[in-house]
Amino acid sequence: MRDAARDPAALELLRVQRSRLADRMRPPWWYLSGIAIVWALTFASPFSSRYLPQGFRIWPILLAVLAVACLLHWGLARATGVVVDTRMFRFPSGRPAEIAIIVVGAAALVTEFLLVRRGLLVAAMVVAALAVVAEVACQQAQLRGIRQDLRGGGGAA
Amino acid sequence: MTARPDPLIHPITRLSICGLLAAGGDWVEFAALRDAAGISDSVLSKQSRVLEDAGYVEVRKGAVGRRPRTWFRLTAEGRQAVQGHLAWLARLEEAVSASTRDVQQAGALPGDRGQPRLVLPPLLSGS
Repeated sequence: MRDAARDPAALELLRVQRSRLADRMRPPWWYLSGIAIVWALTFASPFSSRYLPQGFRIWPILLAVLAVACLLHWGLARATGVVVDTRMFRFPSGRPAEIAIIVVGAAALVTEFLLVRRGLLVAAMVVAALAVVAEVACQQAQLRGIRQDLRGGGGAA
Repeated sequence: MTARPDPLIHPITRLSICGLLAAGGDWVEFAALRDAAGISDSVLSKQSRVLEDAGYVEVRKGAVGRRPRTWFRLTAEGRQAVQGHLAWLARLEEAVSASTRDVQQAGALPGDRGQPRLVLPPLLSGS
């Protein structure tokens, strides 16, 4: 068996192998579509209080969001062969994108609630649509960060 | 973390397996690990068993339909050993590149330059 110390390119080889592993983490088309559906459901929740029948609660929507998100995570793991930790801020290069996901999500929900309360339905729908696009872009940036950390081994705990 | 070599993960195949598992993924599937490391199924099976016996790697077996699936992940002990070994290798690489730099700089010493050109022709013409 080859000996790493006698092979000066051992670390270089490991870098190439990690790069190959990171390349597998490219999300398939259905993953991004699913993420868009998850965010669309999330940003549809402010409309439920005003436009859904009385007694209809927000929890079924949030449960559906959670279920789809879990399915997507499981599907991505199966498709790529790599399970990544779902905890926030686990990958240093993905942190800015994760902060952006939280900020965009909170800002969009608050804006939507205010617009819906004032009856500006079209404006609220535009905000929701823009927020979905922004969140999918942030999610892609987060995955890019994860790939970058896998490449450099920076994702190691 | 102390930079020290680990004889168990010193062979390059095991180093590849451990290095890939330590990259940041939680669990890595058999085929993904095999393709990334560029090794055969049998080599991965054999080496992962050695690492599992040593307590460095945890193995989870399952099936999707009829197709068996095997997942690997580093244990806490394995992660510590890999990080120590990689730090040691990085230090070794740094030392090698520093010594190469020194040799290149020493090549510019007076008296060394053009020596083969001055010495070899008379020797060759004399024979």
